[in-house]
Amino acid sequence: MQPDNEAVSPYCPGGAAGNLSRKGVLGSGRSRERTQTKTILICDDEPSVRELLRIVLGAEYEIDEASDGSEALDLVRELEPDLVVLDVMMPGRSGLDVLAEMRADPALAGIPVIVITAWDHVQPDVLAAGADRFFLKPFEAEELKAAVAELLEEA
Amino acid sequence: MTNVHQIELDHAVTVSHPRLRALHVDSLKSRVIGASAVLALAVAGVFAVLLVAVADLRHATARETRSKDIVATTLTLQKLVLDLETSGRGFAISGNPRLLEPWRAARVALPGRITKLQRLMAEERDRRASVANLVDLIRSYQNDYSIPLIRIARDNPSAARTFLATAEDQRRTEEIRNAFDTFLSTENALATHDTASARRTASRALAVGVAGLVVCGAFALLFGIYLARSIAQPVREVADGATRLAAGDLGTRLRVAGPKEVSELTAAFNVMASSLGQNQAVLATQNEQLRESDRLKSELVSIVSHELRTPLTTILGFTNVLLSRDVDEQSRSHYLGIIDAQARRLSDLVRDFLDVKRIQEGGLELRRELIDMTALLREQARFLFMETESHRLKLDLRDDRLPVVGDKDRLTQVVANLLSNAVKYSPAGGLVEVYGSGRKGVVRVEVRDEGVGIPDELQPRIFTKFFRGDAPERGIPGSGLGLTLAREIVEAHGGQIGFTSAEDEGSTFWIELPAAETLHGDPHADERR
Repeated sequence: MQPDNEAVSPYCPGGAAGNLSRKGVLGSGRSRERTQTKTILICDDEPSVRELLRIVLGAEYEIDEASDGSEALDLVRELEPDLVVLDVMMPGRSGLDVLAEMRADPALAGIPVIVITAWDHVQPDVLAAGADRFFLKPFEAEELKAAVAELLEEA
Repeated sequence: MTNVHQIELDHAVTVSHPRLRALHVDSLKSRVIGASAVLALAVAGVFAVLLVAVADLRHATARETRSKDIVATTLTLQKLVLDLETSGRGFAISGNPRLLEPWRAARVALPGRITKLQRLMAEERDRRASVANLVDLIRSYQNDYSIPLIRIARDNPSAARTFLATAEDQRRTEEIRNAFDTFLSTENALATHDTASARRTASRALAVGVAGLVVCGAFALLFGIYLARSIAQPVREVADGATRLAAGDLGTRLRVAGPKEVSELTAAFNVMASSLGQNQAVLATQNEQLRESDRLKSELVSIVSHELRTPLTTILGFTNVLLSRDVDEQSRSHYLGIIDAQARRLSDLVRDFLDVKRIQEGGLELRRELIDMTALLREQARFLFMETESHRLKLDLRDDRLPVVGDKDRLTQVVANLLSNAVKYSPAGGLVEVYGSGRKGVVRVEVRDEGVGIPDELQPRIFTKFFRGDAPERGIPGSGLGLTLAREIVEAHGGQIGFTSAEDEGSTFWIELPAAETLHGDPHADERR
């Protein structure tokens, strides 16, 4: 998988895709500037859900992955992505923790966050914590893509 | 639970009442009747004393009247005797018959007066002698002196005049006067005494009357106080207790005392209060149970919602990808594998829910067939580790055959659950050991992992339905039903399930099932040959 191709290529299956893509971003700031591709951090503890999100969004955006809350915060600070797609129920720190910490940090407060969760009762908490959009699993891929595009355009 | 309480209550009621009857024979009714009788007796007594006093007073008054009568009669008698004396003397001196008129009148009146005096004095035994003496003196004067004097005066007036001068006249007159004086002074003294006595009696009767009135009043007052104390006071206490009870103080109890009716009332009140308290406690417990069941239900809805939504997301998502995009054969097969795994996850979840429901309704039906646990463990281990490449497996089966009698599908479900837990709750690369052996008629299976372990405080609840410990925080999927079902199944086979675990060091779950008798009557006969 070549970093240069990644921005336009369709999703490539394989467990190593996430790592490759992350390395790609870290190592190819140049390509990122050149292509003007926006980056999205996907954070979900279910590998199959991460894979699905990568397929849905990977065609148009550069994707990074985190499998728990702590990793997500580390990556948000490190990569400063253009948008974060966040699950709520995760091992260690929850998505709500991540969201609260991002909104409290002036450097990260402006990053749009879309929360996707299977817990329907957390919607008020999620929106109160400063999420820009709330999606309940199972979500419609087209609606998610539209929301991502809208938020990135605003930003 | 409610029935048990009801029985206890009934028991309490039937036990307490006969005892109360034995303790309080003096009923309120008998107390009131008794007190009324005492009051009536007191009033009657006071009236009797008053009657005696009034009788005394009448007697004393009669005595006084008689004394005065005696004195008056005696005075009349004295005047008549004086008339006899002066008129007789006047006639004797003057010879004028007109002067004899008082004498005649006195003679006519004397017997009547004497009779009256004698009658009045009839009851005075110790005074009879002095009356007789007085009467004798008067009669003697009249008959032996005055009448002969008048005769003489008529026949020989001058002789009568000398006769008059004699000492005899003076002596007799003097004697009568002295007798009258003595008699009168005695009678006067007696009359005075009787008057004083009558006055004393009168004032005593008045005092007795007043005292009787006071005593009756006091008795009436005591009666009132007694009634108030034995009826009004207990009724007041019951009313206060009822008010407190009504205000919600279910601990209110009344002192069981006083007359029968009141103590029965307070005992019944206490039974009622305690039954109210027990009922409220029962209701509170039921309420708590309902709340807990409600909480579990809403938790269940949350879990079901989450456990259903997560696999559905991937199934729908990947189906959509397959339907809407051109994907190469490799990706296609990969996506279908994901869809298949997630659909199985859903299917297992539905199966677990149904199983739990079936067990709750007591309907877990087991087939009874001869199963070799060694083969079952091998098969399940192979299945699991075909899917999972992240963990290492060590299979330690000491016996070639481990025969048990039971339901193969259900026991497979148990083993699969223990194995998948061992994988789910331990990090990638961890070692999972499966151990099986048959000893002393017991087949023992152990599944050991090097996983996160179970904190001490969570261990007691590990078999509880829907309990997942800190799995949700750790992001470990599951319904919280696996171990609940495993225990039900193992126990339904007459076996046991248990575990040892330490946080961050891993867990060992074990099951023990009764070994089946083989054709040779010994499960380990093969092994020994």
